[in-house]
Amino acid sequence: MRIDSTQRTWAIASAIIFSASLIAYIIYAHNSIQGARGGSSAGLTFGILGFAFMLFAALLGARKRVPVWRLGRAQAWMRGHLWLGTLSLPIILFHGGFHFGGTLTRVLMWLLIFTVFSGIFGAVLQHYIPRVMTADVPLETIYDEIGNVRNLLLEEADRAMEGLCGAIGCSKTSTEEIQRAGGFTAMRPMAGATKGGAAVAPAAEILLLSEEESTPLRRFYFNEVRPFLERPAQRRLLLSDGGKAQLGFSGLRTLLPARAHTTVDDLEDVCEEARQLQKQQRLHHWLHLWLLVHIPISLALIVLGAVHAVMALKY
Amino acid sequence: MARARTTKKLAQRIDLNYFKRPTPLKRVKLWLSLLVPVLAIIWISWYAFHKDARVYSSGRMSAPHAILEKQCAACHVQKASVFSAKVQNPACLSCHDGPIHHVNQTSTPDCAACHTEHRGRVNIAATSEKSCTECHANLRTIGAPSIYSQHIHNLTDGHPEFAGIRENRRDPTTIKLNHALHMKAIRRGPTGPIVQLNCADCHRAAAAKSSWTYADANYASGSSRNETLNTSASNEDALSPHNPATGRELMAPVTFANACASCHLLSFDKRFSEGVPHDKPEVIHAFLKKKFQEYAATHPSELRSARDPDRDLTGKPLAPRVQTLTAAQWVAVRTSDAEQLLWRKTCLQCHQLSFNRNSKLPYVQQTSVPSENVLPNISEAVVIARWMPHAKFDHEAHAGFTCVSCHEKALRSSNSSDLLVPGIKTCQSCHAPGPDHAESRCFECHTYHDWSKRKEITPTFSFPPLKTGGL
Repeated sequence: MRIDSTQRTWAIASAIIFSASLIAYIIYAHNSIQGARGGSSAGLTFGILGFAFMLFAALLGARKRVPVWRLGRAQAWMRGHLWLGTLSLPIILFHGGFHFGGTLTRVLMWLLIFTVFSGIFGAVLQHYIPRVMTADVPLETIYDEIGNVRNLLLEEADRAMEGLCGAIGCSKTSTEEIQRAGGFTAMRPMAGATKGGAAVAPAAEILLLSEEESTPLRRFYFNEVRPFLERPAQRRLLLSDGGKAQLGFSGLRTLLPARAHTTVDDLEDVCEEARQLQKQQRLHHWLHLWLLVHIPISLALIVLGAVHAVMALKY
Repeated sequence: MARARTTKKLAQRIDLNYFKRPTPLKRVKLWLSLLVPVLAIIWISWYAFHKDARVYSSGRMSAPHAILEKQCAACHVQKASVFSAKVQNPACLSCHDGPIHHVNQTSTPDCAACHTEHRGRVNIAATSEKSCTECHANLRTIGAPSIYSQHIHNLTDGHPEFAGIRENRRDPTTIKLNHALHMKAIRRGPTGPIVQLNCADCHRAAAAKSSWTYADANYASGSSRNETLNTSASNEDALSPHNPATGRELMAPVTFANACASCHLLSFDKRFSEGVPHDKPEVIHAFLKKKFQEYAATHPSELRSARDPDRDLTGKPLAPRVQTLTAAQWVAVRTSDAEQLLWRKTCLQCHQLSFNRNSKLPYVQQTSVPSENVLPNISEAVVIARWMPHAKFDHEAHAGFTCVSCHEKALRSSNSSDLLVPGIKTCQSCHAPGPDHAESRCFECHTYHDWSKRKEITPTFSFPPLKTGGL
């Protein structure tokens, strides 16, 4: 979610709540004999308010689990999660009078701090990374399907090579093909898929090169292209870098007859797409890996916060 | 043919049920979301299983109560059918008495209102300023209006000047001492060298161990001294609940033996090198008689004496040119002479002397034996050891400062009735609110509870069970 003018209402409301709380806290802390304490009336009020904000923020997860519930728009929940969750930190600090207290309260405070700051970190990432992805990854696909698409790209490259050089010993049998949802077959090479719109089609043009002519292409394919398509995350590969890849393919074209240049262009295109998918994957990790910290510790925070609430009322 | 990419072809690459498949990221997220809260529950349950409630504590206990850290129930007494176990006054009063502050105070706060626990290893007696200013910022009392300042906010805001200075009191001491003179270079005795006295040559705490520079060992063993001290002993009890006095807080009264004897000789006759005891007139009189009797017995030739024309004074009857006295007469005359010297000069230099109504300071009556009813009364010294009976002060804590940096009036005072206690501004120059100053909260000088009204406590806990968890 982007932090833009659509958040203005929430931002203003949060600023008002924060300001009012801050003023209330200053008055309360100044007038209380022993300073601000969580057990005082004002301290308890701040505690209840802060915990309520935390609960609301935590309910976003439940709301996402059941998207069909008519409990307000998901966007509104997300904004509430963002702003009230952030507000919970100062409110809880007011609750404890900026003291971290004993063992449980100290654990709770650190959990809250990690939760809020990991959330802020995530919000910043969610604000910037989608823009970067739009600009840098025009061939973006669904993240969960990147692995499949990458396999298809490899298959497509193999078939393009076979169309030019003959059998290279890499094409899959029909049994290895993946049955896709809706009865579609996954193995659909993009190039040459023109006749009758068949789901699976071989390369349309067969431009065989002689053994001698195809040697540089084979060597380049097996040394550079295929390793890159199989393991794009591996560094130090020539094709991992766009500039170097362009130079590599340009050099290859000079070694091949003109009738093979179209296939080389296709291979370069495939590598470019694989490179973009790799970047998308990397950006996606940045976009979502913080959740591995944010969600578990926020759940632990809610659980321990409930324990603290009960025990604090007792003592 | 060049590679073509259409929306349809791109869509055909996607498995429409992709969202139903768990990805590694989703799987890790799910497991962590289960694992971390479960770990949190296990952690808190472990404490509950071991019945260790310390984990719920809002902070460490103060040092004196550290032994109770495992014993929540020692203070958090839970009554039957009541969920809350908040600390009540009886829990505190079972170990500590908390005498009332003033009988006419309008309300008595709970113990925990001022002495807040679970704030770490802090001094729990170090109460906040607000604990006091809650009442003293706008003092209301039951019955007659308070005689104390009614709008005190802190040491620098509303605190009155010290009473002695505010009311321009005089030091009631009867000892005559010119501080200014003694702070300058001064001759040590009639024929001694010039010396520069330091404050500590006369003023030291009772527990100070170092030897006195101007002491005279002959006087140190004196049986009694004519000094009555007003140390406000009853206030010591009221101000000091627990801490025994170290003997270094207040300056001990100055004694003749320690501070004066080396310079102020109590010589009484040229025949004797020693001086009279620093004692009551009766003791001195007896001492003189005894000394002269002993002398007369060993020097019978002294009983016949020729008049010294150089000592004939105008207006006084002349003695015979040659005079022979009996031993008793000679002792009486010499004693009288010595007493004249003492009562008229030596003692009078520092003490206030008074004589009975029917007597007067006698002149030498060499023809008659002076009667003993002319012995003077020496006024009590009246040394005030504590000038601020409602406050504590520790000279030892301020030992790093020169005396005159606070008692600067001592350099100018020529009269012992001058009050040399420094004013509150001197204190405020160091003690003020804020991090750059010394402690200025009320407890630094004042005590809330009137410990003179303390009641004895019946012990509640026994040590080994308390430490092992059995209360």
